[in-house]
Amino acid sequence: MIKLYDYELSGNCYKLRLLMSILGVDYKTVPVDFYPGREHKSEWFLKLNPLGQLPVVDDDGLVLRDAQAILVYLAAKYDAAGTWYPRDNPELLGEISQWLAFADGITSTASAARLHDALFYDFDINTARAGAHRLFRILDEHLWFGERQERQWICSAKQPTIADIACFPYIMLSEEGGISRQDYPAIRRWCDRIKRINGFIVMSGVFPAGPAKAA
Amino acid sequence: MAKTRCLDPVVLNLWHPLGALVELPVDTVVDTVLLEERLSLAVGLGREVAVWRSCPDFVAGDKIDVASVSKSLPAKVAFGYLWASLGSPPDELFPIPEYEETDRRRLNAATFGVNVSAPRAIENFLDMGHFPYVHTDILGVEPHTEVKEYDVDISVERDEILATRCRFFQPLASSASETGAEVEYIFRVPHPYCSVLYKSSPVNDARYDVIAVFMQPLSQESVRAHMMLCILDEDNEDKVIKRFQQTIFGQDKPILENQFPKRLPLDPRAETPIRADKSAIAYRRWLSQKDVRYGVIPASY
Amino acid sequence: MLEDVRTRWHPIAATDDLPLRHVFHGQLLGREFAVWRADDGYVNVWENRCLHRGVRLSIGINDGRELKCQYHGWRYSNRTAGCTYIPAHPADAPARTITNRSFQAVERYGLVWSSEDPRGDLPVVEGIGEDDLLVLRAIPVNASAELVAQRLQSYRFQPNSEIAGTGTNIELVAATEAAVALRSCQGRAETLGVFFVQPVDSGRSVIRGVLSGRPNDAQLTAVLRYHNEALSKLREDLEREAAALPVPVPIEPIFERVSEELASLPELDSRGRKAAIRVQVARKWQTADGIMAFELRPIRGLLPTFQPGAHIDVHLPNGLVRQYSLTNGPGETDRFTIGVKLDPASRGGSQCLHDSVREGDVLAISEPRNNFPLRRDALKTIFVAGGIGVTPLLAMAQTLNNQSLAYELHYFAQNEQQLAFSECRQALGNAVMPHLGLSPSDTVNELRRLLSPYLPDTQLYICGPNPMLESTRSLAAEAGWPEAAVHFEYFKNTNVIDDSSSFEVALARSCLTIKVGAGQSILEAMRDAGVDLPSSCEQGACGTCLATVIEGEPDHQDVYLSPSERASGTKIMTCVSRSKSARLVIDA
Repeated sequence: MIKLYDYELSGNCYKLRLLMSILGVDYKTVPVDFYPGREHKSEWFLKLNPLGQLPVVDDDGLVLRDAQAILVYLAAKYDAAGTWYPRDNPELLGEISQWLAFADGITSTASAARLHDALFYDFDINTARAGAHRLFRILDEHLWFGERQERQWICSAKQPTIADIACFPYIMLSEEGGISRQDYPAIRRWCDRIKRINGFIVMSGVFPAGPAKAA
Repeated sequence: MAKTRCLDPVVLNLWHPLGALVELPVDTVVDTVLLEERLSLAVGLGREVAVWRSCPDFVAGDKIDVASVSKSLPAKVAFGYLWASLGSPPDELFPIPEYEETDRRRLNAATFGVNVSAPRAIENFLDMGHFPYVHTDILGVEPHTEVKEYDVDISVERDEILATRCRFFQPLASSASETGAEVEYIFRVPHPYCSVLYKSSPVNDARYDVIAVFMQPLSQESVRAHMMLCILDEDNEDKVIKRFQQTIFGQDKPILENQFPKRLPLDPRAETPIRADKSAIAYRRWLSQKDVRYGVIPASY
Repeated sequence: MLEDVRTRWHPIAATDDLPLRHVFHGQLLGREFAVWRADDGYVNVWENRCLHRGVRLSIGINDGRELKCQYHGWRYSNRTAGCTYIPAHPADAPARTITNRSFQAVERYGLVWSSEDPRGDLPVVEGIGEDDLLVLRAIPVNASAELVAQRLQSYRFQPNSEIAGTGTNIELVAATEAAVALRSCQGRAETLGVFFVQPVDSGRSVIRGVLSGRPNDAQLTAVLRYHNEALSKLREDLEREAAALPVPVPIEPIFERVSEELASLPELDSRGRKAAIRVQVARKWQTADGIMAFELRPIRGLLPTFQPGAHIDVHLPNGLVRQYSLTNGPGETDRFTIGVKLDPASRGGSQCLHDSVREGDVLAISEPRNNFPLRRDALKTIFVAGGIGVTPLLAMAQTLNNQSLAYELHYFAQNEQQLAFSECRQALGNAVMPHLGLSPSDTVNELRRLLSPYLPDTQLYICGPNPMLESTRSLAAEAGWPEAAVHFEYFKNTNVIDDSSSFEVALARSCLTIKVGAGQSILEAMRDAGVDLPSSCEQGACGTCLATVIEGEPDHQDVYLSPSERASGTKIMTCVSRSKSARLVIDA
């Protein structure tokens, strides 16, 4: 069974819990005391991931690090329908990779602001927040035009992809870093759509949505 | 005395928590903030402590001999935390007798920053009605939403709020059972920014787990929340116990940060109480009687 | 200046910002809004804080009929913004007066408009046709509305059909501090652009542009992108300019204080106000054999908030007053629907409604009162309806259905034709189970089967003719149902009232002692002494005139109180019950 080295309040770990829940993949978690214990910098953990970062998965001996990389692996291997990471569609794969990189940008801005405010990391909070707002403006615009073309998700597929999963957590947790989403109505609507995906689960700091109107 | 930004004498004269001792490096300068003041602190090997207004002579990370600090503010160690005051604090901090019981696990579950006033966070800690909605499937679950009648007293001799006979339905109330059951709680508010919760222990019917929150006010609208656990549990690793408490606190966080005004309004007509809020009403009145002004919107305007 | 701005209409969202089951987070002049569209299309603009603990309602859940606060699950009704349910106290009906502050909303020009304190109607925008326009993507700007409106005057754009071109001729049609209208002409191509500036806060605004004429599908996206790019560029300049200015102090919204009544811990009772509401019979139809349904709509304004189980007093043209339960589901706040069975022994109430009242007639009704509150903390709820007794239970069933809570509605009637409100029943599906044409003894057997065994966390609600009600209650007791889990509402009190006694009543709070003579009720004697108590049926069935007994022994003649409530001797229905002791002290 997949082992997920996990910290409950980590948005990056949540990405994997979320995708595995949606795909119905069984896994067990190994709690890592990220805070206050800094166990991800401990000797045993550094052997697993020399970068000293969560998450890490161990799938029957295959050890992978980096949330976005693991999303690619999990979707490619366990999504029987092949919609979350359509391996035979180069255009979509390109789009997905582009937005996975964008998700890294969200991590280094919105997540950094949250780490500063909640866990007292020594980051420049103004730079982090300004960076997050810059990315949110880009994404809101992208999603707003998407809605006009009946595109519900970040990439131009009918179904959501791992790009949506990768971007969602640290956007949803942005208020904990003092980043309001009030100016991003299209992002707020997209968040509701994500929350209505079958198999969606929450983490601390993320509330569920109510049911959509029955057709 | 140096000028402070907080002008509330009641709050200035309180003891405030600054950090968990086990998490502080020995003989090393650490910076923090209290009531908008930059403070530095250090802990010695023998748990001797010093806290002072930050100055360029000692920078965070510097090695320091705690005994050499000449201008320490009032400081002490209690319940595993370093406490300090910017005014003239009482000799003693409020008691938690259970902390001395040797068969208990005592740890700091976490210290989290929250963008809300200390009193809002305390009031949330006293609240049971939100369990099914905010701590779904952990501390409560729909449709078991009723807050049954309970008793609230302001203890005169101890000057603290005491809510007793509090009961709430909890799913998976103990690790031994699959079904939910009513769990008993006692809440104490012995300090305007601190609360102590007693919860019936799943492993021993006759005793309670003790969970306390100590708020370190950074400003009127932001805190560092220190969560102390003093519980009966021989099985679980520290990190598993911490993970549980952090999950709970992480669920409260977006609620607290979406409350406004962020300061707690003491005007009885600012918000709408229901019977379930008896302890919160008592808390607001108690803050008014004490004339606490920092982190609240006083009633008299 | 600010006062002036507060009385004006401002756009606060685009129509597209309000899909069903979503809550939009808006702001105007420092005041935040939770904006949501109910499934019936109504746009609600509310103060963005739950009255209970100040949590933003924009993080709450729009279930299509009500908005649920994320913190304690308080539910607020579509339109009225009144709180309909407080889960911490499932047995109580919340005071109707817990009503969130709401603001007017108008949808026009593809935008949603509101105002803190509007004076007059929404102004007409010349040159923009409601059916032929294009709403641009809104651009939030970190700059004051004043600065944004000023700089918008020099905005340049090509007409819709010429966006690839250059050198258009721009005419400034109108400019205020809230909007700028520009006409772009090139040859025969012409587009009017109206750019509204929504003042979000002292240093934040939103540009909401609307163009005359909707481009064809091929050009639509290009035009939208064209303006999005140009306005984003303008935003960059504006924000650079604003960043060099001193940071303005944010506007502090003033929160209204809640009423005195709500500030203190509420008692358990729910007294209604007497103020009559005027409604029009919008629809009257035969919903079953002998049962007429009436849809009542307000003459003006909104109807008050109601809870499932509530009834209204209907003041009839012939001077009689009758009580009818509301059948409406949650959020159906634009109308009250009642069902009226023609009673052959009618003293003129049902007969008048059946024969004389017509569509278009105006009636006076009371505010809804709820003496039959619905708990929503049961694992399962069983409803037992006999005949017209189905009406309050339909309202309840729709409520549980909306919250996906488990229930069964057992509906006893003589035949198919006697089953009322088929549309509503169909929407509830298989949870509604008719039991038709049963003899009295078969009915008892069926009820016995339905009620046993009693399972914990089950609640039972019964409404129907008195004999059926009595037998259901005793069958439930036999099957082990605790009294507190059995709830019932009588149509009427068929007990013969013995009002021959005379005694003295001391009114503790009013510091009055009154004599109640033979033939007079406590309620009447109190009213004669100038002490008013709300009442409704005045025959000991509805529970409205309940009072607390402090001293003395009540002589209960009502059908409202449960046996244990009677035995406790602490409650009395003042319209029919009397005193066994020479003196009764009540809390009034």
